[in-house]
Amino acid sequence: MMKKSIGLTLVGLFTIALLAMGCGGNAAKPSANTTEKSEKQVLNLFSWADNFSPEVLAAFEKKYNCKINYDVFANNEELLAKIQAGGAQYDLIQPSDYMVSTMVKLNLLEKLDKTKIPNMKNIVKPLQAPSYDPTGDYSVIYTWGMTGIVYNKKYITETPTSWSDLWNPEYKGRVILLNDSREVFGMALKKNGFSNNSTDKDQLDKAFADLKTLAPSILAYDTDTIKQKFIAEEAWIGTMWSGDASFTYKDNKNIGFVIPKEGTLIWADTFAIPKGAKNKELAEKFINFMYEPKISAQNYEYIGYNDPNEKAKEFHSKDFLSDPMLKVAVDDVKQGEWLKDIGDGLTLYDRYWTELKTIK
Amino acid sequence: MRKGKLLVAPAISWLIFFFGVPMLIVIAVSFASRTPYGQVIFNFTLANYQRFLEPLYIRIFVDTVFTALLTTVITFCLGYPLAYCISKLPHKWQQPGLILVMIPFWINFLIRSYAWVVILRSQGLINTLLLKLGWIVQPLPLLYNDYAVMLGMVYALLPFMVLPIYVSIEQLDHRLLEAASDLGAKPFTAFRKVTFPLTLPGVAAGSILVFISSLGMFVVPDVMGGAKSALIGNLIQNQFLSARDWPFGSALSIVLAVLALVLIVLYYKAIQKQEGGANNEEKLA
Amino acid sequence: MKKNWRSSALFAYSLAILAFLYLPLLILTLYSFNDSRINAVWTGFTFKWYVALLHNQRVLEALTNSLMIAAVSTFVSTILGTMAALALNRYTYKYKAVINGLLYLPILIPEIVMGLSLLVLFSQTSVPLGKVTLILAHITFCLSFVIITVNARLEGMHKDLEQAASDLYATPWQTFRYITFPLALPGIVAGALIAFTLSIDDFVISFFVAGPNSTTLPLYVYAMVKRGISPEINALSTVLMFATISLIIIAQVLQPQHTSSKKEKE
Repeated sequence: MMKKSIGLTLVGLFTIALLAMGCGGNAAKPSANTTEKSEKQVLNLFSWADNFSPEVLAAFEKKYNCKINYDVFANNEELLAKIQAGGAQYDLIQPSDYMVSTMVKLNLLEKLDKTKIPNMKNIVKPLQAPSYDPTGDYSVIYTWGMTGIVYNKKYITETPTSWSDLWNPEYKGRVILLNDSREVFGMALKKNGFSNNSTDKDQLDKAFADLKTLAPSILAYDTDTIKQKFIAEEAWIGTMWSGDASFTYKDNKNIGFVIPKEGTLIWADTFAIPKGAKNKELAEKFINFMYEPKISAQNYEYIGYNDPNEKAKEFHSKDFLSDPMLKVAVDDVKQGEWLKDIGDGLTLYDRYWTELKTIK
Repeated sequence: MRKGKLLVAPAISWLIFFFGVPMLIVIAVSFASRTPYGQVIFNFTLANYQRFLEPLYIRIFVDTVFTALLTTVITFCLGYPLAYCISKLPHKWQQPGLILVMIPFWINFLIRSYAWVVILRSQGLINTLLLKLGWIVQPLPLLYNDYAVMLGMVYALLPFMVLPIYVSIEQLDHRLLEAASDLGAKPFTAFRKVTFPLTLPGVAAGSILVFISSLGMFVVPDVMGGAKSALIGNLIQNQFLSARDWPFGSALSIVLAVLALVLIVLYYKAIQKQEGGANNEEKLA
Repeated sequence: MKKNWRSSALFAYSLAILAFLYLPLLILTLYSFNDSRINAVWTGFTFKWYVALLHNQRVLEALTNSLMIAAVSTFVSTILGTMAALALNRYTYKYKAVINGLLYLPILIPEIVMGLSLLVLFSQTSVPLGKVTLILAHITFCLSFVIITVNARLEGMHKDLEQAASDLYATPWQTFRYITFPLALPGIVAGALIAFTLSIDDFVISFFVAGPNSTTLPLYVYAMVKRGISPEINALSTVLMFATISLIIIAQVLQPQHTSSKKEKE
């Protein structure tokens, strides 16, 4: 009796699985045949979810007669932990700016063969040799943006101009900060006129003291669902990335975004090839393909981030080029400071961060 | 004697290889140090364990244990009656009843948590309803605080309490209860002196599973608590990710495991004393 | 069930708890029809996510992987775990206390530690990451749960029945097959249910030991978080939920009317 029903349930689940395979398999059948006929190359891509236009990926697969395995991770540190612990078999990964310099120092990245990626020249000049990879030997920029203040115009009538506006007592309980120690402390450091890569204890103490006073006002720390919180209007003001602000704006037209006068951090996601990748050449072809002007335009229109490809401008839609959130970032790029790997300072930051979280 | 060893051998060998060996790695790393860029270098040091003794970390540990205990108590209070009810259903419906309880937990936990956010947030279901009814003027802060975290923990761990308890209740000999009522015992007394003690194995198993699982939780404090609390699950998570301090993270894990093990042993000793009493009563009945 | 206020109160209470468990799922289902990719607030009604789901090869692949891995892990861990529980409960042997302790450790260690250390183990022994490593990892963390659950059942079992059986010259195997096993079965099934539940929604450990092209559903969903979880996942969960509930109902309807109960076995 007991066994029967459980058995039936399991059988049922298996049936669903088989049906699912059937549905998915039907779509895959044509390419499966070609795999058996010719030695199809496989590109193992490890990146953020939904980070490429599916049409662009399909176009690449067609052009180079290969298959892309698109695996996903949710944050840089997980990427690093996985690559560091060994055993990862990826050809192309997408670390963010500071992670590139860390991986270079840990000898985890291959040097790029720039002759295979001629389209690299299409990248806008200020982003061609960023401080985290000055020679551009290890990474190629993919998306970039800046952190700024996002606010809801319905509740906040005065446009914020400074990081200190977050501390406004009128916004108590309506503030959201990113759930990232470097972002939050970087912001507090900038508020006091310091570098967001500072490891000076006095400067950090000052930043921490400021954050302690802000802590009771904070509704939540959130990196993953901060867009939803602003769309649903749970929060009125907070720190957010420019690309995310653009998304949020699409679903809630009350959203505004500014880069505070003290400056902020600029970040980028990049392409990089891990050491020991089996298909280095194919990976380089992929990067090059991504920077073809028409492809660039198609891709960035889909993912909604700033396009670093100069040559792609003519192919972009008017809407994209005049998106207020993305435009803000482009205009203020000089005010951005890249995050550096701070080595031992990381333990110090983690300590402050842990302490900040214990404040009720 | 030999049969016992034979039966337990496969599980033990499995655990020794797939758990024991990785654990040796963890223990080794807990005595190592961290290079400036987050690599592990094996020079023996006790610094990581010493660091745990700082008041900041002790406090986090105590908070976590307290939260876990509270979670266990609440899931017990909520779960026992449910398990009891399922065991009282007509036989044909008991096992579907169990599966019905389990189905929600086969659905991805993250989206269920986000569903709770939709229900509890200030523009969410509950607040909108209460505002419309006029029962409140301002939305209630139901989210991003300790109560929400507790709700999330209980929600996540209820089946681990219900299932073991059900398993114990289901095997009760109903003649014992009949005998008790024949002897004039009121229903609650019968429950207190007969039913409950005999279901202690299930209660113990469920409590331990819930307690241990809540110690390591980090998703609930992040999603439901707005990442505003530092529990040991979050702390350890951070060490392996953003802080890139694997040695400290490993040390914290070892300390957590050892202390929890001690608590469990004490708990089991207490349970066994109770069980001894219950078994005696059974023999007399 | 005795018809008195106590039973009714208990039944009403259980329904309330069930409602508590299913409330988020109701919201999930509702939002699977929401006309908004980011799915933060309700904007309008649509079926498009269900259509998109059918064409989403990757999510269906992830689902198949999850189900297959869960099925295999449940099967193996239930068998190994039941054997171990029997041994712990029925026999005495050297180092019993130590072995008891060892069996609790896997659930005490935080998942990220277990995931990373398993990854180190696999990479040092050159085991390629993929579905196999996922299964190996899942069995490892399910084992202890099964053992504890089955053991709880065995603890409460009357030893006299087994005693009586062996007095009547039954071999140990016969005792096991006709007495112990049927009586322990609910515990074993409960253990299997727990193992299945743990495996199907595991994220942290799976993340570290999965290889290219062996994504499971939780991995897929978690990674989507950065851009917002698409309502396709809501649609998928709704379908799974209804499918499973329907299966149970069908199973119940198809069952022959059994008048014998366990009491007769006793």
